[in-house]
Amino acid sequence: MIQLRNVVKTFDTKQGVVEAVKDVNLHVKKGEIHGVIGYSGAGKSTLIRCVNLLERPTSGEVIINGIELTSLKLPQLREVRQNIGMIFQSFNLLKTATVFENITIPLRLLNISNEEANERAERYLEIVGLSERKNAYPSQLSGGQKQRVAIARALSQEPEVLLSDESTSALDPETTDSILDLLLKINKELGITILLITHEMNVIQKICDHVYVMERGQVIEEGTTIELFTKPKNPTTQKFLNAVSQRQLAPALIEQLTLEGYILRLTFVGDATGDPLIASLTEKFHVKPNILSANIIELKNGIVGNLVIHLEGQRDEKIVQYLTANGVYVEEVL
Amino acid sequence: MGEFTAKWGPLMWQALIETFQMTLISLVFSVIIGMALGVLLVLTRPNALFANKFVYNVLNILVNIVRSVPFIILLFFIIPFTKAIVGTIIGVKGVIVPLVVYTSPYIARLMESALLEVDPGVIEAYTAMGVKRRKIVWNVLIREARPAIILGLTIATVSLIGATAMAGLVGAGGLGDLAYRYGHIQYEVEVMYATVFILIILVQGIQSLGNYFASKLKRD
Repeated sequence: MIQLRNVVKTFDTKQGVVEAVKDVNLHVKKGEIHGVIGYSGAGKSTLIRCVNLLERPTSGEVIINGIELTSLKLPQLREVRQNIGMIFQSFNLLKTATVFENITIPLRLLNISNEEANERAERYLEIVGLSERKNAYPSQLSGGQKQRVAIARALSQEPEVLLSDESTSALDPETTDSILDLLLKINKELGITILLITHEMNVIQKICDHVYVMERGQVIEEGTTIELFTKPKNPTTQKFLNAVSQRQLAPALIEQLTLEGYILRLTFVGDATGDPLIASLTEKFHVKPNILSANIIELKNGIVGNLVIHLEGQRDEKIVQYLTANGVYVEEVL
Repeated sequence: MGEFTAKWGPLMWQALIETFQMTLISLVFSVIIGMALGVLLVLTRPNALFANKFVYNVLNILVNIVRSVPFIILLFFIIPFTKAIVGTIIGVKGVIVPLVVYTSPYIARLMESALLEVDPGVIEAYTAMGVKRRKIVWNVLIREARPAIILGLTIATVSLIGATAMAGLVGAGGLGDLAYRYGHIQYEVEVMYATVFILIILVQGIQSLGNYFASKLKRD
C-alpha cells in the first residue's frame, strides 16, 4: 500500500547540505499499522511528509497503491492525495469554523456535494464520538477532542491510507490512549492502512504491527513489533524499550551479583509463561534462580514477558539451551 | 450654538461629504490593489504556496519605495501619473490617485502581516488533502485571516482619513482643509475645534465598528 524505495531528502541550509533522510526503504501492507520511532531530529517527520510529497524527496520512489508519486503532475498528485488522510501533532483545524464546518469545508473544496458532505460529517463525527460538539469551535475543545475532529476530517475523505505525524505527542497519557484506541478501531473497522511517526514507545506498543527505528536519517532497525520487543539489537532501540519496560538494572547491582554468579534476561512471547519454566529449572538443573525483575508488555499482536534472573555459580550452557528450546530468548546481562 | 450651526453648518456638512467621498472612493481602490499586493507578497515568499523569488523581491521593494514617501510629497511627486490616469490633478478626482497610491502599499503590508499569522499547518493540512492551491488561498488563508484583515483595514481607513486632510492643497476640500483654512488661517478657532471633534467621532466610530466585526469573526 505504502512503499518507499531508497528515499533521500537533503536540505540546503546556511550551514551546508543536511541529509534529513538517507536511503530509507519501507513497505506498509494493506490493512497494517506501521510505526517509525526516533528521537526528535532523527528525520522521521521529514520521512512521513515525503509519503504524500508535502516534502519532495531528493531521490527515490514513493509508491502508494501502485502509483509512483514523484513523477506525477500536480493534478494527478492532488487526486492521489485525496486517498491519503493525514493528522498532525498540532491538529491544524480552521479556528474560524465550527467542528462540523471543519469537516464539510474541505469536502466542498474537493467538489463533493453539500448533502454528501453533510452526511459524511455526521457519520464520521459519530465514529470519533463528537456528534454532540458539532457546533463548537476548536478553541472550545480539549486537545483530544481537537484531534478527534482532525481524525474525522481525515476519514471523511474516505482514504485508504492514514498518515499520523506525532498525532498524540501533544496529548496527556490518558487522552493518548483514547486516540490510539480510535486509530486501532478505524484500522480494524474501516480497513485503513496507517503509517505513523512517534517518539513514544507506548504508541508503537499499543497499535503497531511493524516498527522502524530511525536515527540520523536512517532506519537503524526494523521488524515486527514483537521481534523488536523481544530481540532489540540496536542500543537506541534498547533505550526506547527501557522507557516502557524497565529493562535496565542498576549497574552497581549487576556488578555485585555477577561476582557470585551470572544474570540472564529471558524474553518470551505469548504462551511461554515464565513461572513453570523457572520451577523446572530448579527441578532439572538443581539451581535456585533469583528473580530480579519481571514484567509483561501487552503488544498489539501478543504479549511479551521479560524476566531477569540471577543464577549462582558458573554459566551453564545447558540451562541456556534448555530455555532457548522452550521458546525463550536468552541474553546474558553483563 | 444655533448661531454657529447656522453659520458654519452647511460648510461643515459639505466638508464632511467631501471627506467621505475621498475616503470611500480611495478605500475601495486601495483595498482591491492592497489586498492583491498583500496576498501576492504572502504567496510568493520563500516556501509559500506559489513561492517566486523574483516576484516577491520586486513587490517587496516596490512597496517599500512607495511607503517611504510622505503623502504630502507624494501628492506632488506623482502629478504626471495622476494627470495621465484621471486627466486632472485638482479636486476630489485629482486627489484620489495619490490617496490610492499612498494607501495601497500600506494595506498590502497590513494584509501581509494578517495573512502571515495564519497557521501554516492548516494550509499544509489542506494541501495534504489534495485541495487546489487557489481554493486554499480563499478558503483557508483569507478566511482564517479575516479578523486580522478587518482590523488592518480599520487602521488603514483611519490613516486614510488623516491623509485626506492634505487634499485641500489640491483643492479637494474636506474636513482637514476646513480646519486649516478657517480654523488656522482665519483664526476661527471654533471651526477648528468642531472639525477636530467630528474627526474624533468619525475615527472612534470606525474603530469600534472594526473591532466589533473582527471580534465577531474571531473564535479563539
